Amino acid sequence: MTAISPATLLELYESMVTMKLWDQTALRLLQEGRVLAGYHSGRGQEAIPAGGVAPLRRDDYLMYAHRGFGYTIAKGMSLAAMFGDLMANTAGATGGLGAGIPHFADPELGILGQGGTLGSCFGIATGAAFSAKYRGTDQVVVCFFGDGTANRGAFHESVNAAAAWKLPVVWICENNGYAVSVPVAESTAGRIVDRAAGYGMPGVRIDGMDVTEVYRATSEAVDRARAGEGPTLIEAMCHRFRGHYEGDPQVYRTEEETERLLALDPITNLEARLVADGIATDERLGELEVRVQDTIDRAVEEASSAPMPGPERLYEGLYV
Amino acid sequence: MSQATATRTLTFSQAIREALREEMERDERVFVWGEDVAVYGGIYGATAGLLEQFGPGRVIDTPISETMIVGAAVGAAITGLRPVAELQSSGYFGIAMDELYHKAARWRYMHGGVFTVPLVIRLPEGAKGAGPEHDVSPEALFLSASGAYVVIPSDPADALGLMKSAIRDDNPVLFFEHAGLYAYRGEVPGGDHLVPLGEAAVKREGSDVTVIAWSRMVGESLRAAEQLEGEGIDVEVVDPRGLRPLDLDTILESVAKTGRVVIAHEAPKTGGAGGEVAAIIAEEALEYLESPIIRVASADVPIPQSRYLQQFLIPTAASVTEAVRRLD
Ligand SMILES: Cc1ncc(C[n+]2csc(CCOP(=O)(O)OP(=O)(O)O)c2C)c(N)n1
Ligand SMILES: [Mg+2]
Repeated sequence: MTAISPATLLELYESMVTMKLWDQTALRLLQEGRVLAGYHSGRGQEAIPAGGVAPLRRDDYLMYAHRGFGYTIAKGMSLAAMFGDLMANTAGATGGLGAGIPHFADPELGILGQGGTLGSCFGIATGAAFSAKYRGTDQVVVCFFGDGTANRGAFHESVNAAAAWKLPVVWICENNGYAVSVPVAESTAGRIVDRAAGYGMPGVRIDGMDVTEVYRATSEAVDRARAGEGPTLIEAMCHRFRGHYEGDPQVYRTEEETERLLALDPITNLEARLVADGIATDERLGELEVRVQDTIDRAVEEASSAPMPGPERLYEGLYV
Repeated sequence: MSQATATRTLTFSQAIREALREEMERDERVFVWGEDVAVYGGIYGATAGLLEQFGPGRVIDTPISETMIVGAAVGAAITGLRPVAELQSSGYFGIAMDELYHKAARWRYMHGGVFTVPLVIRLPEGAKGAGPEHDVSPEALFLSASGAYVVIPSDPADALGLMKSAIRDDNPVLFFEHAGLYAYRGEVPGGDHLVPLGEAAVKREGSDVTVIAWSRMVGESLRAAEQLEGEGIDVEVVDPRGLRPLDLDTILESVAKTGRVVIAHEAPKTGGAGGEVAAIIAEEALEYLESPIIRVASADVPIPQSRYLQQFLIPTAASVTEAVRRLD
């Protein structure tokens, strides 16, 4: 197994810190009544979008999930545009259509968007991968989805076709144990990773709380895809720290369960490792956090100054 | 081999194929996929010969996976290609409904207009003796799918010209083809024959009654018009050639001229697009109407497989003739 360079570790750390602080800021905006939609916090699962997006090139494609905004943060989406959508104003990536379930897209960054219907990502990922192959580029698609979403029929249709056609896709399932309130064991036969064998492609189950594991597994899968060797399924085991959405009473799990999870925080764990291995000092990491928060605050400020859209916005961009 | 220069006679199915061939020659981004479209040439022959000419990279047999066929077409369309995807029957719409209604139609809008979704979904429809699920004409389901165009040719010339325009258009197009028309022959102009989307055709001029019909019902209405001519009734047949964009100007102009309207489609009356067209005419042109609008459509029952029973259900020229006679 190749070692991950200290520089890359620091980048992954910064990426996760950005996600965490983004999340904190979004929750604050939500409390202040400035967010015009619901929000699905990604707290606890940062290692997966960080480690799963970092191996991508700028022109590689991303199909992301609803769990936090980490995926698009990692792919380089404008933070102000993302805040603008949360506030449903004209600074938003959609120009005022709003987000909670984000519909951010940026073709320049390969960000292909997200559907509110879970599993929308599967067909589109297969099609984008087909397109890359058809056009003779070596672009790769990474598609993130939850354990619950893995039970959509679209999963089978799209994963089968991508495997049959050896398309350059990396399927990353974030198994956080729940689909809203339903535990994965109650809804899902067998292990999700084992489905890979049925489609004749490699499958790996990894510790999704460890960003280095996610980064390594995804890098390997991206390399295979880029080399024309076809798709891979990664099942990243993880935990969501907060409710499914803000306001979720979480009657389906105990408080002790959620408290115990905090010890598994992927960010504090990497922090300890960086310090123990002499890659960074507490002081340096503290400075990094201040710098990131500052960037986020400026993005919020930029987004806040934008006006709300007028009713004419409803009719824009429907047809070409 | 490129466009024919002179007028020729083609079947509806050949016309679709010519459109695909011409556009695939013109634009490398255009590809065709669906079930049995490659070696087999499509169950209606509309893709016959394309594999030989363009190879397996551009003429692709898919698994029986309608959700993927449409969903992946959207993925290909937003990343620079121009897919023409075939569902073997429009009756399978339900399997791909999220992908048709939300993904194809709305992906551009919901992401703030940063993409175009230049794709065509081919949807064979209509009664052919294959039973309640296959024989449907579900175009009206997409009336509320704003974002998607709904295009419906009624003869080979329009099939060719509309398909070429649909492929070149940057909006997603749901392209309904009546299975009963595939073998029907007609004259097709030579050259780069393009029929603009959203432009109705007055298929027959007349001054007494406007029959608004699409798909197979256009031919039936033209036959009805011939018969009624003998009875001294001068019928105008307007084919909107689709439901979105809808050419209201041509429809309303005709209504203003004749003051009498029959709307004919093969889909069942309830929930059929005739209701929407009638409502628009009532809103926009009530003052011109000299008689209530009559809808000619199938009854509100599932379509049996038996062709024998279908004859009592599916509207024909006689149904149009009878409706016209009932007008005041
Ligand atoms: C097709 C569909 N069904 C149901 C929903 C409602 N819904 C939104 S998120 C969610 C749970 C998803 O669980 P999972 O895929 O495990 O992701 P997680 O929320 O755990 O990150 C449900 C049921 C939806 N958006 N789309
Ligand atoms: Mg889950």
